[in-house]
Amino acid sequence: MKIAVMQFPGTNCEHETLVAVNAVGMKGEIFRWNRPAAELSGFDGFIVPGGFSYQDRVRAGAIASKEPVMDALREEAERGKPIIGICNGFQILVETGLLPGTGKIDMALAQNVMVSGGRVMRRGYYCDWVNLRHDALPKRCSGSFMIDKKAILQIPIAHGEGNLVTTTPGLVDRLKDEDQVVFRYCDPAGQVVNEFPVNVNGSTESIAGICNPEGNVLGMMPHPERAFFAWQLPAYDPRKARPDDPGPGRMVFESMKRFIEVRA
Amino acid sequence: MKIIGLADQDVEANLRGAGIGMSVAEARSIAEILGRDPTLTELFCYDAMWSEHCSYKSSRATLKEFLPTEGPNVVMGPVEDSGIVAIDDQWCVVISHESHNHPSQILPNEGAATGIGGIVRDVNCMGATVVASADPLRFGDPYGPKASKVRWVAEGVVDGIWQYGNALGVPNMGGDIVFNESFDDNCLVNVVSIGIVRRDQIIRSRAPQGAGEKGYDVILVGKPTDSSGLGGVTFASEALRAEDEEANRGAVQIPDPFLKNVLFKANDDLFRLVRESGIVIGFKDLGGGGFTCATSEMGASGNYGMEINLDDMHKAADFPPEILSIAETQERFLIVSPPELRERILQIYNQHWDLPNVYEGARASVVGKINTGDRFRVTHKGVMVCDVPIQHLTGGIRYKREEKPRLRSLAEPVIEEPVDYNQTMLKILGSPNIASREHVYRYYDTEVMGNSVIRPGEADSGLIAPVRGEKFGVALAVDSNPFYGRISPYWAGATAVAEAMRNVAAIGAVPSTLTDCLNFGNPEKPEAFWEFREAVKGIADSCKKIWLKGYPNQPVPIVSGNVSFYNESPEGSVDPSPVVACVGIIKDVGKAVTQNLKAAGDRLFLIGPRFDELGGSEYYRTIFGVTGKNVPLVRFDLDRNMIYAVIEAIDQGLVAACHDISNGGLACTSAEMALVRPARLGFELDLDGAAEPGLRTDKVLFSESAGFLIEARQGCEEKLRAVLEGFSLEAMEVGRVTEARKMVVRRKGKALIDLDLDQARAVWTNGLAEAMR
Repeated sequence: MKIAVMQFPGTNCEHETLVAVNAVGMKGEIFRWNRPAAELSGFDGFIVPGGFSYQDRVRAGAIASKEPVMDALREEAERGKPIIGICNGFQILVETGLLPGTGKIDMALAQNVMVSGGRVMRRGYYCDWVNLRHDALPKRCSGSFMIDKKAILQIPIAHGEGNLVTTTPGLVDRLKDEDQVVFRYCDPAGQVVNEFPVNVNGSTESIAGICNPEGNVLGMMPHPERAFFAWQLPAYDPRKARPDDPGPGRMVFESMKRFIEVRA
Repeated sequence: MKIIGLADQDVEANLRGAGIGMSVAEARSIAEILGRDPTLTELFCYDAMWSEHCSYKSSRATLKEFLPTEGPNVVMGPVEDSGIVAIDDQWCVVISHESHNHPSQILPNEGAATGIGGIVRDVNCMGATVVASADPLRFGDPYGPKASKVRWVAEGVVDGIWQYGNALGVPNMGGDIVFNESFDDNCLVNVVSIGIVRRDQIIRSRAPQGAGEKGYDVILVGKPTDSSGLGGVTFASEALRAEDEEANRGAVQIPDPFLKNVLFKANDDLFRLVRESGIVIGFKDLGGGGFTCATSEMGASGNYGMEINLDDMHKAADFPPEILSIAETQERFLIVSPPELRERILQIYNQHWDLPNVYEGARASVVGKINTGDRFRVTHKGVMVCDVPIQHLTGGIRYKREEKPRLRSLAEPVIEEPVDYNQTMLKILGSPNIASREHVYRYYDTEVMGNSVIRPGEADSGLIAPVRGEKFGVALAVDSNPFYGRISPYWAGATAVAEAMRNVAAIGAVPSTLTDCLNFGNPEKPEAFWEFREAVKGIADSCKKIWLKGYPNQPVPIVSGNVSFYNESPEGSVDPSPVVACVGIIKDVGKAVTQNLKAAGDRLFLIGPRFDELGGSEYYRTIFGVTGKNVPLVRFDLDRNMIYAVIEAIDQGLVAACHDISNGGLACTSAEMALVRPARLGFELDLDGAAEPGLRTDKVLFSESAGFLIEARQGCEEKLRAVLEGFSLEAMEVGRVTEARKMVVRRKGKALIDLDLDQARAVWTNGLAEAMR
């Protein structure tokens, strides 16, 4: 089971993502942007990892989305292969039109705006551990294939632009109706509170991750590869006391593997 | 340039007119060695190489006299861009520590960003993977007369750090921030970076053996050379004057983390090529002193000469040779390698990583050759613009500076004991120097690379597990207290070392090595030079007397460092600031402990007696506006015992939480253990257990004497006592963790502090944001 971990100039999470891919028993390979795009057809799945591809020039993800390898990735997506975009990878998939999957760019990951009680508390880059509620049904989406509905995952975020916005009328309702809203920011009890700090970046309806209508393409702002082992958890999480246990982010990679197995 | 035969004032006028900072005597000595008038390019090269920043001309003798740089774990001391110490038989930590003070005061964002950019290059060029950074920062008074400038600098510096570090993809694992009016016109931006390398894969920054005989290539890699950062080292070697601000802006370099990110990956491929081919190369970053410094030092340290042709250099425009020679254009590296690797190296950078298309004008170019001569020769458009003895150029010069104690009238204040301890406590918790650092570290990517075990705010030091499949962890902490420095530079130096060691010990890591970045005023002034020497002596004494664990009487070595003089403006100099970073090693990251309280009912133990040591304390300053005199001392035997006892207790699994006592004393230490996330538990302290019957309550609470507060794991109390007694320490039981979310402190049955956790937390979490807004 071969997974290509995409690498653009400015990508900076490819190595830890590769560790996660290999740790669940898939065979990962870092795929540099200027390799022949045709080689991508030899892979069973793809991860577009985090970073600052092309320095976030124009907009985060905008330049990378125009690379030939992304055209090839679009074709692989049409074949039903799983693609997971994490952080800047999510931004790239939105700029490519692969998410939310209408083929057009009809949403954006805008600058974080942290609002509480009607006041802007802060803007821009923010790094912290957040709670994510899985709002899709199991088996709905490649990267959350094995995750129960309403399950809560603790995973860190680290981004300046994760605030999902759209001007397309009815788009968010359609995503909800089609079960394409995969992850939402929530409090430790699983309640969505549309205010900072629970909604950590101002995202519409606290959305943290979405999939395409077919479910094989997932984009999420939080970094599951950084929550892959229990020893990575923050000090206040009691599971850190068993450092060798799996961390909450592992399920995303396990899901991808299962999704590929089931499809085959 | 005409020097020979001219009067001093004419030489002076010529030098200054050309923008050269060296003295007339220095210029004359160069002309004498060359036997002719030097060219403009030669003078620029010497000016950079003989600057305080590059040559340590004032400081070198003092550093050599006092600082211990050798030890059983030292793989490489402070001879190249970074120091290296062993973790085990296979893995090593690479560390470098520098200042970027002047640039950050002028252009905070670019100054701080290039500080990070430079320090990570220093670590990477040893063949290492850069795995963490930390930033000790000093800003002026955010509520003082220069508040708006101070806040502008502070905000810009933090932005520069996150924008560079996050994009590059190196986690920021620590640092500290202190505000004080002595930094109103001179902020301090120190940068620390650590890397990991296998012992057999270290790459040196010198022309390898045989390089001259076989005519090795000199290859310049990275950004096209431009005129940015012109004279950066000279500008860093002068006091800042407001009227020079416009001119100084040009001396600040321009950062590019994006290009650096790609260069690091290409460098990884270079390292792989070197490993697989088994060929030794020289590899060095271009930092202060630019192209001249990197090339000449690389040749000189291999005892070779070299020929450079500036026409072969890739550059942003047709600049004159003196600019190409010393501009401090960022994101560049230098390779010295045999001709048989040339094509493969060029291919890595120019094709595989496609530098020319990633960044306009960036690439790898062969710019010269190493030879067996002893000259540093540079041609430009067919003209020899520099032809000097290479060892003379890199050898620098030495100055013997005068020293004279700075006399200050210091006294302990006569103060009333507070009537309302709750209000006193809240005021201190909200002070910009005590409040939670969260406002700043949420800007930093503390998670990238996925190695983070303990992150900023969770304990006294950060901890990473940098090698997958290995259990060891590397801890990093920094320290320096300018308020102590004002009273006694010696004790400030000694405490900086001891405190940084306590910080790594508090999570269970063993202090392994130290770095020092010495920030002082103008060394040509005897008082400033005295402060520098005192601080170095203090650092050295702590290193030697709190020795390396397991090696009695062997000092903890200092393997890297930097001296930053001229941190002064016409209004005066910064408080003496010997900033120390400590690397600690823990064998199993699973054993590390954090500072948050873990379980109601757990008992709290104090180690380290309280002394009447509130000179420079947060309490004196924030409540009474005074400095005082009784600065905390380092009792070397006591400190060593405390540090080793804490490490031992944590290793045996007896400790649930641990926090060392520093700024704000026992009161703040206990409060922080409750206030830090998850902030679900409170505590009760009874000062009768602190065993200081003669000391007034406010002094027991706020004295900054060294110590630790430990939450014992339930059922391990007796074992903990035994471990402490084994180190001749008294385990003072002072309280317990409570279900009630309150902070309660009593003495002789009387409640002194009784604060709701949420009320205290609101003050503590807002203090820094308000100071930086």
